[in-house]
Amino acid sequence: MPDRPSPQAPTLSRHGDAWLFQFSAMGCDCEVHVAGPVSEEHARNAAQAAILEVRRVEAKYSRYRPDSIVSRINAAAGQGTPVPVDDETAELLEYADRMYWASDGLFDVTSGVLSRAWDFRAGRLPTREALHTLRQCVGWTLAVLERAPGASHFMLLRRGMEIDLGGFGKEYAADRAARLLQERSVRHGFVNLGGDIRLLGPRPDGSPWQMAVRHPREENRPLATIALSDGALATSGDYERYFIGPNGERYCHVLNPHTGWPVRAWRSISVVAPLCLAAGSICTIAMLKGEDALPFLRRQASDFLAVDAQGVVHRREEGAAAA
Amino acid sequence: MAATEAPRLRAAAGTTAAWGASLGHTPSILAAAMALPGIAVAPAAHAEGKPEGASVSLRTLAYQDSQPGLRRIRAISPTFQVVTPLMDEDWWLNGAIEADSVSGATPRYHTAVSGASRMTERRTAGDVKVTRYLERLSLAGGLAGSTERDYKSIAGSFDLRWASDDQNTELSVSLGGSSDAINPVNEIVVDAKRTTQQLALGITKVASRTDVLQATLSYSASSGYHNDPYKVLDERPRQRRQTVMMLRWNHHFADGGSTLRSSYRATQDNWSVQSHTLGFEWVAPVSASVKLVPALRAYTQTAADFYAEASYDPTLGEPFPVGYDRNNPPRYISLDQRLSSFGALAFGLGFVWDADREWTFDGKAEVYEQRGRWAWDGNGSTGLAPFRAYSVQIGLTRRF
Repeated sequence: MPDRPSPQAPTLSRHGDAWLFQFSAMGCDCEVHVAGPVSEEHARNAAQAAILEVRRVEAKYSRYRPDSIVSRINAAAGQGTPVPVDDETAELLEYADRMYWASDGLFDVTSGVLSRAWDFRAGRLPTREALHTLRQCVGWTLAVLERAPGASHFMLLRRGMEIDLGGFGKEYAADRAARLLQERSVRHGFVNLGGDIRLLGPRPDGSPWQMAVRHPREENRPLATIALSDGALATSGDYERYFIGPNGERYCHVLNPHTGWPVRAWRSISVVAPLCLAAGSICTIAMLKGEDALPFLRRQASDFLAVDAQGVVHRREEGAAAA
Repeated sequence: MAATEAPRLRAAAGTTAAWGASLGHTPSILAAAMALPGIAVAPAAHAEGKPEGASVSLRTLAYQDSQPGLRRIRAISPTFQVVTPLMDEDWWLNGAIEADSVSGATPRYHTAVSGASRMTERRTAGDVKVTRYLERLSLAGGLAGSTERDYKSIAGSFDLRWASDDQNTELSVSLGGSSDAINPVNEIVVDAKRTTQQLALGITKVASRTDVLQATLSYSASSGYHNDPYKVLDERPRQRRQTVMMLRWNHHFADGGSTLRSSYRATQDNWSVQSHTLGFEWVAPVSASVKLVPALRAYTQTAADFYAEASYDPTLGEPFPVGYDRNNPPRYISLDQRLSSFGALAFGLGFVWDADREWTFDGKAEVYEQRGRWAWDGNGSTGLAPFRAYSVQIGLTRRF
């Protein structure tokens, strides 16, 4: 999930009426805000537990650590031996399975290998042969999950297949971190992992937090601010990793698993839902659905903000506005 | 493209509310996410959990009750309380000590002013409770005691709380027992004893993002000396069995962030005393650090079946009730206003000020009035003066 390991210690500062803990994890800037009548020591202990949990999830599901469960699963692909997985991993794989079916096969955690055909740093388009070869290693139906409490197993059937849980790892970590803060009686604050946010409760005076959604093209001003007291906000955009091709078109990192080519229809989609995991999955699936995103988003009953390829803003309520 | 200021989305009035109240309509992606153990939907409402942290508090209560023409009991009660973890965050200690000064006059029967017994008393009380928190279970054991010149009491309790997987339901069981020794200064009885046992069952449910409901049922059985030794003609049964039912509902308003706490309590016992209490408390934030808490309570009770009304025998005179036969007195009798039939109202206003991360100030003032005429069933006791009580409390808490 991350591009690089992130060992730096969290920095603590006071931010208005809240304690702000900043740290790096999962390749992005992360924050834990704790507000309300808590002492500094209690806030520090609670935030530390939350940060440790984010790091735990990152390490456990990292593709880059040879001892992680994901690496072990990927190394055993095509060998015919099921890999034992613990209950947490089995639950996440079962969740990946539900997302696959809920998205009509667009959300596929085995599609990560396709990005090997692309070189985002050099800005090079893939060759047809490279994509064709890699597409043989993509397909969630080529994975087998056997569930039994305390004795689950998972297997990838073809050599070269890989799973990548980066598609929802950050959002899951945000929910897990929030749960630990909740258990430590933090009732006001939020966790923000690189724009994937999960709230614990409103500001101490009851007013909501103002969350800014990043503008997909303009760095200096937000697209919108959303007032939230609880629940979660996640955003998927074409600006996180991309390059501009020879004809000026943008190629972003969200790849359609069937074609191997990036999605084009949306610049960014933000979703509000009770859980960050749900919000993140919905906006990722919506990006992948392209032209069919709006009916899908409306069926989810979630509040959303979507900016299409022309820059037109779409919301749950009728009436679009220019961004 | 017009460069206007960033559009504002309407504040999400309640993310879960927008998802539909009934689980049957929960969209499948949210349902799939909610199925993962270890991540929970965070409600604005929540059942009781571990303390937020260690703290010490100092609180003082000043109390005065009265009836027209007679100031009755006055009390000043300072309390010191400690909440601290022991060893690690799974063991917690709650301890408190209290040193009351009580003085004043109480009627010797009904609300008779003349001959009221006067007293001055110091009372010391303390309690300590140790709680062990496990994954979804908490166990607590407690001891309490109080002592004053004419009354000593010691009590023990044991509580168990169990939370469901999704943390939305909590069951509780409590057992308690106490033993009292009464040695009134007028020596009408020496070293009288009384023991009480109590069992309570409760269920708390986080019904939605904004609502917590609780129901408790408790039963207590007390045997021994129940008389009030300072009242004339007071002879009460040596057994008292009481059942109490309590319903609570906390509702959080997402706009504004206030909470309304409503409660209903009903009691009945084998002395025929039945009571109902309806209470409302509204916790309203008025700024980032201050909350105001107005409160209202309405109460009614029926008289004990051995309570004698304030209607006196023309031959024998006060305090003897009509028809009292000195050669064949009733087995049980009481002229205690507290066992009469009456209704009462209380209004209170409190505040909580979280001055900073470490200090909180709180205060509360309440006025209470009770009258026979206010009994809800219209059959209130007659001949008793209205009873009024005022109390003011201020407190200071330091968190660690």
